[in-house]
Amino acid sequence: MVFLTTRLWLRNRLTDRYWRVQEVLKHARLWINRITAASQEHGLQYPSLIANLIKCQVELNRKVLADLAIYEPKTFKSLAALAKRRRQEGFAAALGDGKEPEGIFSRVVQYH
Amino acid sequence: WSSFAQWATFARMWYLLDGKMQPPGKLAAMASVKLQGLHKPVYHQLSDCGDHVVIMNTRHIAFSGNKWEQKVYSSHTGYPGGFRQVTAAQLHQKDPVAIVKLAVYGMLPKTLHRRTMMQRLHLFPDEDIPKDILQNLVEELPQPRKAPRRLDEYTQEEVEAFPRVWSP
Repeated sequence: MVFLTTRLWLRNRLTDRYWRVQEVLKHARLWINRITAASQEHGLQYPSLIANLIKCQVELNRKVLADLAIYEPKTFKSLAALAKRRRQEGFAAALGDGKEPEGIFSRVVQYH
Repeated sequence: WSSFAQWATFARMWYLLDGKMQPPGKLAAMASVKLQGLHKPVYHQLSDCGDHVVIMNTRHIAFSGNKWEQKVYSSHTGYPGGFRQVTAAQLHQKDPVAIVKLAVYGMLPKTLHRRTMMQRLHLFPDEDIPKDILQNLVEELPQPRKAPRRLDEYTQEEVEAFPRVWSP
């Protein structure tokens, strides 16, 4: 096959699915950057925020979190506070060796 | 969303950073984040949301380790035999601003916006900053490193209050 430019050659080497996935990932990377910025404003780091929100069973995706950070700053502040509190409780549970009762926000709803 | 709210959100801020006894890499990291606008939730690469950063006291930056003698800045003039290699100490002697400038230039994304972001960075070797820039400054950023104090900068009470481990 003859490819007149490097771009066309590259498009042949990689699959079409790769380019479609890259389009979606562009949006995801933007949301992640925005959420990182907003959580740094509240003194948290992005991986810590996401992990602690998942542990509190708050299953908000990055698109919604980024929109909240822009248009609803107070809601985002309370989410960051929740994640910080869950983080502290996680540390207490790991370092306390089971002597103290488990934290309030560490309680998990069991769905059957 | 009102136009006043939009104007207030996308307004450009002027940040001050004091480089006295600070590692230039950490200063450059903070400066590059603010210059790109990555500290704002409304960040987008094309929306020109970067801010101005003024770094003063670049003459008094402090490299850790032996980097003043070991770190080498290379360049080529384009002419044959024009490969120049300068240590960080020599470069700092010639131009006190160059180290921080090169550090920030390397940390910004390698796009065409980099040159505009570098134009928004203002570097000063000492504390004297022109009046029109001083009037624009909004916020001073906290220093990345807690600078240690010399023995003669401690007060006599603190020196006496320090616990004595052994006595000769």
